[in-house]
Amino acid sequence: MAIIEIENLTKTYRVYQKREGLVAAIRGLWHREYRDVYAVRGINLTVEQGEFVAFLGPNGAGKTTTLKLLSGVIYPTSGTARVMGFVPWERHNEYRRRFALVMGQKNQLWWDLPAQESYRLHQQIYRIPPEDFQRRLDELSELLRVRELLGRPVRELSLGERMKMELIAALLHAPDVLFLDEPTIGLDVVAQHNIQEFLKFYQRERRITILLTSHYMQDVEALCKRVVVINDGVIQFDGSLDEIVDSFSGYRVVRLHLAEGQSAEGLARLAEVESIELPRVTLRCPRGEVARVLARVLEDYRIVDLSVEDPPLEETIARLYENARGENRQSLAAATEA
Amino acid sequence: MGTVTLPTKASIWWTIYRTALAERLAYRGDFALGTLMRFLPIITQIFLWWAIFDAAGGGAVGSTRLAGYSFHDMVAYYLLSMLGRAFSSMPGLASTVSKQIREGEINRYLIQPIDMIGFLLLGRVAHKTAYYAIAIGPFALVFFLCGNYFPAWPEVDVWVGMFLALVFAFLLGFFLDLCIGLIGFWFLEVSSLLFVYMLLNFFLSGHMFPLDLLPPFWRQAVGYLPFQYLAYFPAAIYLGKIPADQLWYHLGIEACWLVAVIAAARVLYARGLKRYSGFGG
Amino acid sequence: MSSRQSTRPDYFRVFLTFARNSLVRDMMFRTNFLIEAITSLSWAIMNVGFYWIVFEHTPSIGQDTGWGKYEFFVFLGTTWIINALVQAFFMPNCEEFSEMIRTGALDFALLKPIDTQFLVSFRKVHWSSLSNLLLGIGLLVLSLQELAHRPVQPWRLSASVCLLYPLYILCGVAILYSLMTCLAATSVWLGRNQTLYDFWFYITNFSRYPMEIYRRGWGIPLWFVFTFIIPVLLVVNVPARILAQPVSGKSGSEWPLAAFTVLAAAGSVLASRWVFRRALAAYRSASS
Repeated sequence: MAIIEIENLTKTYRVYQKREGLVAAIRGLWHREYRDVYAVRGINLTVEQGEFVAFLGPNGAGKTTTLKLLSGVIYPTSGTARVMGFVPWERHNEYRRRFALVMGQKNQLWWDLPAQESYRLHQQIYRIPPEDFQRRLDELSELLRVRELLGRPVRELSLGERMKMELIAALLHAPDVLFLDEPTIGLDVVAQHNIQEFLKFYQRERRITILLTSHYMQDVEALCKRVVVINDGVIQFDGSLDEIVDSFSGYRVVRLHLAEGQSAEGLARLAEVESIELPRVTLRCPRGEVARVLARVLEDYRIVDLSVEDPPLEETIARLYENARGENRQSLAAATEA
Repeated sequence: MGTVTLPTKASIWWTIYRTALAERLAYRGDFALGTLMRFLPIITQIFLWWAIFDAAGGGAVGSTRLAGYSFHDMVAYYLLSMLGRAFSSMPGLASTVSKQIREGEINRYLIQPIDMIGFLLLGRVAHKTAYYAIAIGPFALVFFLCGNYFPAWPEVDVWVGMFLALVFAFLLGFFLDLCIGLIGFWFLEVSSLLFVYMLLNFFLSGHMFPLDLLPPFWRQAVGYLPFQYLAYFPAAIYLGKIPADQLWYHLGIEACWLVAVIAAARVLYARGLKRYSGFGG
Repeated sequence: MSSRQSTRPDYFRVFLTFARNSLVRDMMFRTNFLIEAITSLSWAIMNVGFYWIVFEHTPSIGQDTGWGKYEFFVFLGTTWIINALVQAFFMPNCEEFSEMIRTGALDFALLKPIDTQFLVSFRKVHWSSLSNLLLGIGLLVLSLQELAHRPVQPWRLSASVCLLYPLYILCGVAILYSLMTCLAATSVWLGRNQTLYDFWFYITNFSRYPMEIYRRGWGIPLWFVFTFIIPVLLVVNVPARILAQPVSGKSGSEWPLAAFTVLAAAGSVLASRWVFRRALAAYRSASS
């Protein structure tokens, strides 16, 4: 059963220059300059129960807007969406009790209070039965290893600890759908890893549906089988990580360790040279040509070691974005010409 | 510092002044409206005193006098005390200074060849210049609308006395606030102290009511404090409450206060810096 | 799960949790309590001092209005009580509301399965403001003791006063709350606005004196506007009158005013709800 169904979802903002101050604001009442900005344009997406989906995209691509639409924080300009059968922006209490949103850059816990006080408030607002509340709190704080921090004011916690506390807050009412907006932003590698591990475990145990946005590739590689790439408000790609690599990186990286005294002269004629730091040379060559290039290299040069790798995922994705931007510009140009 | 010639110094100060002025003028629209709105409480004051004079005089508002003030004098007093406050009030000065001390921003005055007090004073002068350039409109408008509350046009020496009183009020207000801010060298939290000081200032400067209404003993006591020069004194000069022969005497006393407060600020600053450097910032 | 009966949160218990959390928080900054108490005490002394001086020069505020010294101190005490309640329960929340609009933190409030205006309006309780409440009650008690000995119509406690005074205090608080919410909600359209807070101060300034003082000359239009359109004049005046019952030649006009105040309070709250919804709708279609 599809748990999230999105059809033709579009969100445009009418932007005008907001100015500070009453005088400017009053002046603004008479003449305002509007400009339509597309945040999301005509997105179609279906997510099944129990999927863990990553939204990838550069800043301003529309990832966060999509999550906000799905959590009912903002209204769409057009299109429909249903999550567990609810229209999010109608904000039914039943719906709001069944999902949670975590934003890495904003915190909802009371800053000066220990996290457990905020949790107690959640218990009241979400009407969580006391025994469920205690059991979940125990489980979650155990899993995230923050039990002894529950009584400490949030402002005294590190960024990673705070994020864990935010996650607990989001999961106390046992949501069926979880939206995570850049949950690992700004965290160090260890904290990032901990949170990934937790999310992986929790999602597998509970079979809940998670939508995650991030621009950290590690998050995506660690957690999600399915990746949706959004750029300029349009879905550019929807599939598995491997597919991305296959279809968007048309080349491989060949690293050579040349023997002593061997010059790198002439290599540029065989393949594109990415860097030369003798005795190391890095080449890029199209997938179909790897064998031919390697044969020539081995024949003409003295080599100590060599390796053939896929390009880093970041680079592939960056290419994907760039491609997309180019296409959009072209289609935009076509549209304005027509 | 000793080797810097006077013209160079002057040009440095001039640059600081111009920069601060430009920064201030960026907000001129809000300034004008904000100044105009600041006169709104005067309206309730007028009605309050109207009712008080009414009751005190048994209905004869025009001929009633309280502590020598007619109803019209009273309204004029409040308007004029606003003018005094426009010179003597230093919004944000003490809190900025104590914050700079607390957060170590003061280091920049230790590193750069600038005197902090001079720098702040110049910034304030720029702030006030910008303020007057814009506030003169609202002030002129309100004073014109309330023109018939004011007594007849006074003599030249009253104008001169008032002008001096306003300039002194500015300087006195600046250095008093600065002293409070500099206490931040000794106490981390000065905001509560500041609040109490502001309340006292509000009450004792005559901003809340003409000090002449106070019972004689208290009137005399308040006369021994510097606060009355911040709002009461300039207004009282204009309204002829200060006899002509005592005008210069009072201005002289005010000048003495000014010298004392400047000296106090200098001492606090020097001692504070010593303490600050001693603790290693 | 048992989703049927439990979808509606228990608003009272949520409020208690808010109040409790705020208290825990305020207790962490205990010195603030003390500072707040000292500053409000000095402010109170200054206020009483000023009116004391005024009453040295006049028997009452306005002729035949009945606002003599202690009647007026009842008025002043009522002002403090109402302001203390507004400051304790709503001021920090309204300030935070416009801040939430600006920073986008309002998103979280929208996610919760609870009425958003309730959540935003009651989130924090500023307990230390209640020191003003104590001062107000203190001033009230002292003044009423004096009034119990006044020559004409000595003051006596009656059951109706016990009932009506708290009711009209609540009406006054409701009117001020609504006004404040409306002002804060405008941040959706105007962005952060310091001038608006000044505006709040200047408008409520009109509520601080007996309304009789405006009923002359060019005060009549002001009296009309601040009674019937932005009813801030009713906030303190009506409860204070009920308590002090000034001996007035023009009595008999009290009951229509009292009835109107209840209507005005209810109307203000409804108006604030309407403005709040409009603001949310604008926020939700504009936030990014």
